[in-house]
Amino acid sequence: MTSKTKNRLTALLLGCSCFCITYLSAQELPDWSGVWAMNGGTIFDLDTKTGEGGSTTPGVREHPPYNEEFEAKYQANLDLRDAGVFPDPNSYCGIPTGYPRLMNLPDVYEFAVTDKQVWILTENGPNVLRIYTDGREHPSAIDRWPTHTGDSIGHWEGDTLVFDTLSLHSSESGNTIIDRTGLILSDAAHIVTRMAINDEGLMEAQMVIEDAKALSSPWVVTKRYRRLEEGSRVYDYACNENNRNPIDPNTGWTYTIGPDGQIMDINPGQ
Amino acid sequence: MKSLRGMTITKVFKQFFLLVIAGSFFAGYSAYSHHSNAMFDQQRVVELSGTIKEFQFTNPHTWVQLMVEDDTGKAVEWSLEWGSPNNLGRQGIRPSTFPPGADVMIKTYPMKDGSPGGLFIGARFADGQTIGRWE
Repeated sequence: MTSKTKNRLTALLLGCSCFCITYLSAQELPDWSGVWAMNGGTIFDLDTKTGEGGSTTPGVREHPPYNEEFEAKYQANLDLRDAGVFPDPNSYCGIPTGYPRLMNLPDVYEFAVTDKQVWILTENGPNVLRIYTDGREHPSAIDRWPTHTGDSIGHWEGDTLVFDTLSLHSSESGNTIIDRTGLILSDAAHIVTRMAINDEGLMEAQMVIEDAKALSSPWVVTKRYRRLEEGSRVYDYACNENNRNPIDPNTGWTYTIGPDGQIMDINPGQ
Repeated sequence: MKSLRGMTITKVFKQFFLLVIAGSFFAGYSAYSHHSNAMFDQQRVVELSGTIKEFQFTNPHTWVQLMVEDDTGKAVEWSLEWGSPNNLGRQGIRPSTFPPGADVMIKTYPMKDGSPGGLFIGARFADGQTIGRWE
């Protein structure tokens, strides 16, 4: 064998080794394929819910470990909700849902696992949460700014994805809420999320939320999602396609557009 | 073989099967909207009898447009809001579920101010097929 042939063979073997390592690495990632739907309604923290009904039912609320200031803000939102005029930013069909609310949506989810990123895709919105698993760090403080989904970096611990999210919009800076009872966080929110498929086959996402401005202790919330039957499809969500429910920016009241294109309930008698 | 409305027997059974599935699901259905439902009176159910004008199978909500005669004999168009086409589509509802011209009875939570609109609860066609919640 000539030295030239040996070199070519060595290069070939090295190439094969690199390919095999990458391939095996991809093979070790868990199978999160398919279409998933959240269990339960859109109450974010079911474990602390009190009252009967859903997030828009008067009297229903959750009990995050808010400090005095944020408990008062939450109570003000609850009062608006009880009056049917709480301004949910999603109703305007404009801005992204943001994190962590995007873990609390109706419609369906996809969890796309690649060897360098995981994407949480929500049909409602739609929204994309990008989680970098390629070893990068968060940008330095001067190089990041609040966004709706913030910045997420993660790693795998076996079949569990652990990711760290910060640099999130607050209700003040980005009109972001967590559910329709009026739950909010500040721009100091820092969330560590652990995601894995549990023994019952449900995708389980446990979020440990710390927020020095809003919370007096960490707030732990767990959401679960079931896999829909194989072959299920995900569709477009075009909120402005035929939105017949404009919101009055002054009162927060939701109107209804009639077949003639005009508001039907111009005097809703609130 | 032809049957009602020019559909084949197979198609009739297929549609009936889809409606049964949808009916079973919606027995426990609670509507999620991208907006507040405070405009609807969910303590009161109104039953309408009319003719389908249009089924708007659109985001973010579907709308059943129903022509109903009022007490004076005048035709009034009702707007009945339902779920997203995506969720309904996954549960067997199709744009063809409410064909224009079909006679149907519809139950709705009416608008509080008396406008001809409401939140869709369920429907019953002339041949007895039901969709949604129809107890």
